[in-house]
Amino acid sequence: MSTPDETQDMWQNAIDELEKRRGWSEELGGADAVQRHHERGRLTIRERIAGLIDKGSFQEIGKLTGKGTYDAEGKVRHVTPAPYVMGIAKINGRPVAVGGEDFTVRGGTSSGSRRRKGGQGGFVEDLAHDYRIPLVNLIDGAGGTVSSIKSRGYTVFPGVSGFERSVDLLGEVPVVAAVMGTAAGGPAGRAILSHFSVMIEETSQVFAAGPPVVKRSLGQDIDKNDLGGTKIAVETSGTIHNAAKDEEDCFRQISSFLSYMPQNVWELPPRGDTSDPVDRQEEDLLSIVPGKRTRAYNMKKLVEMVVDRDSMFEIQPTFGKAVITTLARLNGYPVGIIANNPMVYGGAMDARAARKQIHFMELCDNFHIPVMFFVDVPGFMVGLAAEKEGALREGMRAVYAAGKMTVPTFTLVIRKCYGMAGMATCNKNGVDMKVAWPSAEWGSLPVEGGVAAAFRREIAAADDPAAKEREIEAEIRPYTSPFRTAEAFEVEEIIDPRETRPFFCKFVELAYESMKLSLGPQSKAGVQP
Amino acid sequence: MSRVEVKSEVTGTVWKIEMKVGDSVAEGDEIMILESMKMEIPAMAPEAGKIVEITVEESVPVEEGQVLAVIEA
Repeated sequence: MSTPDETQDMWQNAIDELEKRRGWSEELGGADAVQRHHERGRLTIRERIAGLIDKGSFQEIGKLTGKGTYDAEGKVRHVTPAPYVMGIAKINGRPVAVGGEDFTVRGGTSSGSRRRKGGQGGFVEDLAHDYRIPLVNLIDGAGGTVSSIKSRGYTVFPGVSGFERSVDLLGEVPVVAAVMGTAAGGPAGRAILSHFSVMIEETSQVFAAGPPVVKRSLGQDIDKNDLGGTKIAVETSGTIHNAAKDEEDCFRQISSFLSYMPQNVWELPPRGDTSDPVDRQEEDLLSIVPGKRTRAYNMKKLVEMVVDRDSMFEIQPTFGKAVITTLARLNGYPVGIIANNPMVYGGAMDARAARKQIHFMELCDNFHIPVMFFVDVPGFMVGLAAEKEGALREGMRAVYAAGKMTVPTFTLVIRKCYGMAGMATCNKNGVDMKVAWPSAEWGSLPVEGGVAAAFRREIAAADDPAAKEREIEAEIRPYTSPFRTAEAFEVEEIIDPRETRPFFCKFVELAYESMKLSLGPQSKAGVQP
Repeated sequence: MSRVEVKSEVTGTVWKIEMKVGDSVAEGDEIMILESMKMEIPAMAPEAGKIVEITVEESVPVEEGQVLAVIEA
């Protein structure tokens, strides 16, 4: 039997040791390493988590994990924490699993322990999977390190700690990846296995391999920002979706993205602020589309006037700019908006725009966010450059992906809706409602050019071929009035531009009611072309 | 004072230059109109300021991302 004193001593020692070990964990890689990290303009993983989440909501898991050193009597001297911090927390009052590499400990390289806290197959992914909550990966690490080969005694087969869970999560819960340092290898791969990825200007880079490997493999000398900074990874390749100005902006973007998302695919997206009146009718909508058909206009501004005030969150704003993909709200309900951008090649769909649109449609479909198309598309992009980058195949993949969607969709034709690219703006699986403004026009191809091709012989035989072409165009032009198509009920309704907001608010509400009956994961069948 | 570059969103040709060096612009003002894919694409001021440089002439071809003008904002 122990005396009360012995009991008290035992507990005092145990709690002291617990607190001491927690303290080492809080110190990360030590004051010097933290200072160097700060000097690079970067926050530590603990500061990052604190900056992202609701104040005081972090419950850490695996805080004591690390490598301990002991004295001769077996008493612990110090523990260097594992280079990964994770746990559960809340963002906007909703639970998430969050974790990230600690760069101050061995540059955030994976720890080599059998059970992993983070990374592919890590515990943080299990938390997201088992509790059906979003996962936020704050990535700042270079993945595996060759130094662990020696301590382990053998090399690891690729995929032993594989991406299976990371892949499954993409069909279950929202996954956000933030690249907050230099990411190569596994961490870079994980950044891409996400629904939304963001990286920071100047301080973040992402690539399959960094400059030293490039130098050795190809003999090229290249700076890491020129190889994998935001200019390349976000604006040129679309490898990462959005760029953030700094770490605070990055946290703001993550929190904003998640505010449109359900917690998982078994729930509806959450309704937001409903203070913007449903019947708000902007007069400027009546003048935004120029009378001259060949004149471009600001589609972003147009969308802004229709959706709830300040509710837009654009995905990939600097990539594939021929199409705008933005989350927004109508009467508080999250919607995904796909709007062709006449300012960029008249809105013609190129390979980049198609890839961007495909990802966005799959994102919305997966998370039961109704999709609304603002259509002004003259067709697929033409020309040698477009053919070389496979615009036709990527464009048809967009048509395929649009056809595969099961979430309610709405099609609003602002101006042009032509050809196969036009088919990527609607989905026949639901009620297939196509609504148009009076400025709309559509067909297999535009009258100009179309006339020249269809009446080639007749035009060539005329005394004045140019005049003949204009004459035939003028003859056909009146038939292109959208009102004639509405008479035939091939476009279901034509609305005054000012009625756009009230009209679609009504249908989005119905869409949310109907989706209650079709929640859950997507079934996958078929092969993307 | 910062120099803000007005860049072309498209590959095409300069159709009509509507402003000149020294003009004041508000954000969104049209500085010139480009022609691409049979469409007139306005090149707009990304910020308010004064035009200090116009780097292209009418009817010359321009590349995507090319600087068209410089604004002192």
